[in-house]
Amino acid sequence: MVTVALDINPEHAKPWIALAESTHPSLIDTTHITDELFGFINVPMAVWIDENGMLVRPAEAASIERSPLRDQEVPTGLPPRIEKMYREVKSIPDDSEEYRLAILDWARNGAASKYAMSPDEVVAASQPVSSNQSRAAACFALGEHLHRTVGHDAAVPWWREAHALYPENWTYKRQAWTLVTTPEGATENDLMQGPNEVYSGNWLDDVIAAGGGGSYSVRPQLE
Amino acid sequence: MIISGTQLSVPEFLAATGWEAKPEGLCRGELCVPAPGALNNGVVDVTVAAKKLGMPLVHDAPHNIWALGVATATGRALASAKAFFPSSLIDAMGRTFDFNSLRGRRIIMVAWASW
Repeated sequence: MVTVALDINPEHAKPWIALAESTHPSLIDTTHITDELFGFINVPMAVWIDENGMLVRPAEAASIERSPLRDQEVPTGLPPRIEKMYREVKSIPDDSEEYRLAILDWARNGAASKYAMSPDEVVAASQPVSSNQSRAAACFALGEHLHRTVGHDAAVPWWREAHALYPENWTYKRQAWTLVTTPEGATENDLMQGPNEVYSGNWLDDVIAAGGGGSYSVRPQLE
Repeated sequence: MIISGTQLSVPEFLAATGWEAKPEGLCRGELCVPAPGALNNGVVDVTVAAKKLGMPLVHDAPHNIWALGVATATGRALASAKAFFPSSLIDAMGRTFDFNSLRGRRIIMVAWASW
């Protein structure tokens, strides 16, 4: 297992890494280069790589444990936007049990596992990418570079363009949104990523525009 | 991917993009895309290479910074199933990670985030 935090500020990921006390490599991708190299467009997602350095599964949603949130009733009396967010999160498909079993099967059986794809299958099963979506990667990279070397304001125009070109890439959006919606001095990044004055999008409205929680993740194709 | 300019050495282009410039073309895993004019005396002309691979080349003029998008030659996020491990990933201590330390092992690479 190798975990990769898609955090342009490594200080945001470090507390979680420390809390996990994991024994596997816990890495940080400050430029989101793994988005480009492996096709991550949301989190959590994972790729499987065999002993020969070949991908045997493309980037897919990678939950292995059903969230208790899914089985809870939506509390009454929530502010309207929070209630809507709750419902959208509950509607995100849950393939955790099947995915966990697929991982175990591959761990036991390696190349003989029915879940291990051939190279051609892996490429064909990876997400389609258009010229606009590819340009979005370049725009996000420019934004990250300028955020780090010049300042946040220099990054914003490029991140706006990345969002417009590739609305399905939630890592570009959520990374940028959290930088403006997290209050100064907060000890954790804001996860709500609501309406703000910098970007036209926010988590709830963009999820609804994309078709709701049911369209939010790249489901693993395990048949 | 941020690049330092539009003329890169072969190792620089490989490190930035995962594509290796060879006489037969631009290669990744078993896939090679013919790219006449992309490689001259060990220098990769990024404008030519980017066009052949379908990689948008974007320039921030005020700061003179260049960036390349992912290759769209196959129309898919992955041009090859051969994994290319970036050298830029760091651990919590800020040290770069050498994926050669995992050579010969099965890996599940999981992306997550604090946001």
